[in-house]
Amino acid sequence: MFGKKRVAIVGAGLTLFRRRLKETGKELSYEAAKMALDAAGMELRDMKSVVMGTAPDAFDGVHMKGEYLADGAGAYHKPYTRVFVGGGTGVFTPLAGWWHVASGQFDTCLVVAEEKMSSCYPHPQYAFTTIFDPILERPLGMNLIWIFALEMHRYMHKHNIKKEQIALVSVKNKRNALDHPCAQLAANITVEDVLSSEIMAWPVQRLDVSPTSDGAAALVLASEDVAKEVTDNPVWIDGVGWCIDSTLWTNRDLYYPDYVECAARMAYKMAGIKNPPKEIDVAEPYDPFDYKELHHMEGLLLCKKGEAPKLTAEGVTQRDGDLPINPSGGLLGVGNPIAAAGLMKVCEIFWQLRGEAGKRQIPGDPRTGLAQAWGDLMQYGSVIVLRR
Amino acid sequence: MSLEKITNPLHVRHWLGDMEADYIYTLGVAGEHFLEEIKENGRIMGAKCPRCNITYVPPKMYCEKCFAKLEKWVDIGKKGVVHTFTVATIDVDGKKLEKPVIYALIKFEGACGGLIHKIGETKPEKIKIGMKVEAVFKPSFERKASINDIAYFKPAE
Ligand SMILES: [Zn+2]
Repeated sequence: MFGKKRVAIVGAGLTLFRRRLKETGKELSYEAAKMALDAAGMELRDMKSVVMGTAPDAFDGVHMKGEYLADGAGAYHKPYTRVFVGGGTGVFTPLAGWWHVASGQFDTCLVVAEEKMSSCYPHPQYAFTTIFDPILERPLGMNLIWIFALEMHRYMHKHNIKKEQIALVSVKNKRNALDHPCAQLAANITVEDVLSSEIMAWPVQRLDVSPTSDGAAALVLASEDVAKEVTDNPVWIDGVGWCIDSTLWTNRDLYYPDYVECAARMAYKMAGIKNPPKEIDVAEPYDPFDYKELHHMEGLLLCKKGEAPKLTAEGVTQRDGDLPINPSGGLLGVGNPIAAAGLMKVCEIFWQLRGEAGKRQIPGDPRTGLAQAWGDLMQYGSVIVLRR
Repeated sequence: MSLEKITNPLHVRHWLGDMEADYIYTLGVAGEHFLEEIKENGRIMGAKCPRCNITYVPPKMYCEKCFAKLEKWVDIGKKGVVHTFTVATIDVDGKKLEKPVIYALIKFEGACGGLIHKIGETKPEKIKIGMKVEAVFKPSFERKASINDIAYFKPAE
């Protein structure tokens, strides 16, 4: 750790997640950032640097989206960077904020993530059609759902997993979201509802999938000195990890996310975690599809390969289970404004560790938590480990 | 159940705009070789890294693992194996497709990577992970150095 400064989170903010919000992307960024500053008891002038995370320009429909959103994120006359690693952006944004402070260059960093997917009309799916290789894949008419279907099918095939087992994740997360004031798709649904929802591309059905959303989230990061001045209750960023696999997604087996394991190992090593299932009290793995929560639990080494469905069926991943997974309600329940959704997960772990998660609070005085996001064309992993 | 209904965009005061831009994508060094071979000779080619002993399909100009420049081309044949597949039933607008389309990731023996393509001459219920498939090329006069010069893959033995 020589040379690195310890970095704390001292405030968090989150807007509503909805299919379409009236606020512009700038205004959403402002609302989340202001809320995080208020929670920290700090002012914009206290922020020495700003990092913005936001996904493809095509969603908001503004090329140079980083520049467009800057004032809403509080970047006026400040050192400012926009970062983007696809769906991994939301958890990567505080990692970028971390190195601003850990390097010793800045005492504070305002971290903001925003997505206004509803600008893309008639549906943000159109922006996703141009993420594929323009020579080898786009001429086939690829669609985002289809490649997830390919991965989900491979995962099911490898471990002989049934749709019923996977649907339990959607049921759990949408129910958890009933207690989240920002949630877009909170609901009491059954496995039967998932299995009878519209088939999009087998094995993916409508209720296996998270919705597209508008929303923003923010954190205030501070060096140890500043953190101790402003709060008695800091939450420390003790582990960071990120990794990208082959950009040819066809070069991987698809049943297991190696890149998530690689990112997790980096974060665990830094945090001194040797036995993740024992030492992690609560986790928010990325769940844009229900099977991805299971896939990512395995990649994060929270259980053995192929074991996540069993833990889910046994209730281990419920809020009152031994290893609560996505107590927020996740992307399936709260919503999926890409970058903001990833940062929402970090906010949730922050609130859980401070005992401020309200009706969502997990029992048992959690001390160590983890959030993870995943992105690009199924090959990017970003992991953050937080401790009280 | 209280799942959210899609909000009518007209309920929020808005302005309709676009980001008009068209693109010309070059095939690239490896891509041009790959697609020219499909067009002219009906062959699927990979590129071999002599240092790592890996054959990339589709071929690459460089090895992503050791950064060697790849210049050795290998004909990997027309047959592969279904690694995973999906049956697409709706389009990008969420509208039902007239006929479901089977998309598969096809891997080739001895090669790193694979091709994503359609499966034809069979029914969705007949297809299984692990089954052998074979490329069906369009007639040579219809080919234009596109991945769609392969019409689809069909079950093979
Ligand atoms: Zn090599």
